[in-house]
Amino acid sequence: MKVMVACSAGGHWVQMRRILPAFDGMELVFVGVEPKLDGDLGAVRYYQVGNVTRKNPLAVPGILGRLVTVLWSERPDMVVTTGAAPGLLALVVGKVLCRSRTVWINSIANTEKLSLSGRMARPVSDAWLVQWEHLSRPEGPHFWGAVL
Amino acid sequence: MIFVTVGSMFPFDRLIAAMDQWAAGLGQSRGEVLAQIGAGSLEPCHMRWVRRLERAEFARTVAGADLVVAHAGMGSVITAGEYGKPIVLLPRRAAAGEHTNDHQIDTAGWLRRRPGIYVADAEQISAPASPRPWPAAPRARASGPRPRRISSPGCAVSPSADPPLAYRCDPG
Repeated sequence: MKVMVACSAGGHWVQMRRILPAFDGMELVFVGVEPKLDGDLGAVRYYQVGNVTRKNPLAVPGILGRLVTVLWSERPDMVVTTGAAPGLLALVVGKVLCRSRTVWINSIANTEKLSLSGRMARPVSDAWLVQWEHLSRPEGPHFWGAVL
Repeated sequence: MIFVTVGSMFPFDRLIAAMDQWAAGLGQSRGEVLAQIGAGSLEPCHMRWVRRLERAEFARTVAGADLVVAHAGMGSVITAGEYGKPIVLLPRRAAAGEHTNDHQIDTAGWLRRRPGIYVADAEQISAPASPRPWPAAPRARASGPRPRRISSPGCAVSPSADPPLAYRCDPG
């Protein structure tokens, strides 16, 4: 199985690093906003995309175009993200273009409510997850555990 | 060494200004403070500083620090935790344009009871009476008082106190 891991830098990436062992034995490709991937991950394919937040929404079309190119090339079976907006866009493209299985994992930093990206991820997520049980609902989002 | 970090996404001039003011009282110990300031408009006068660190460099810097002072971002919190470093958090406020929402205030509320994590609810710095030598880094403890403000090294420091703290902070 080919799994695409796509997320923002900082806490989103640090949390994803703690989840990576769940994909042992699978082929991994990475999408992120930093110029390069952590060196200890070895020789894996990494694609940089621009960062986008609420502060620069005009960046979305360019990032979507880049993601279309990347996902068309890689055609992952699954796309997983811990957010934020770049990860959400990767889920959208993965679901629409490649019919990938998609996993949204809301950041553990959001202790009281879902992030905006997390709320927007619902229609494009096969697994729509939060890291706080009190945020979970029977109809979703669901709680499958947390990184801490 | 004290490592100050604003994370990889947004600037946080309020934190940098507060720590720069605090570092001004350190005299020849100023070199013991390193600040990662991101795209901030404030360039410190009293601390060593860089704008960004790659992930491996960031981890090495945290590993070599005695104390981390950071925004309430999970990257900083988790990395400090992985290296067993005490961390002081100043949450960003959306109203001040420091983030897109106030989730860091919620995050800090969750974390403030965790060992080795100290939440500063405000950035007021009290001026040191005189510079003091750096205290030894505390060992992680299961419980302890939760400081509300960062004080200068002019305040009493007791590395062997129960629980040991790097700084005693004002209770108010």
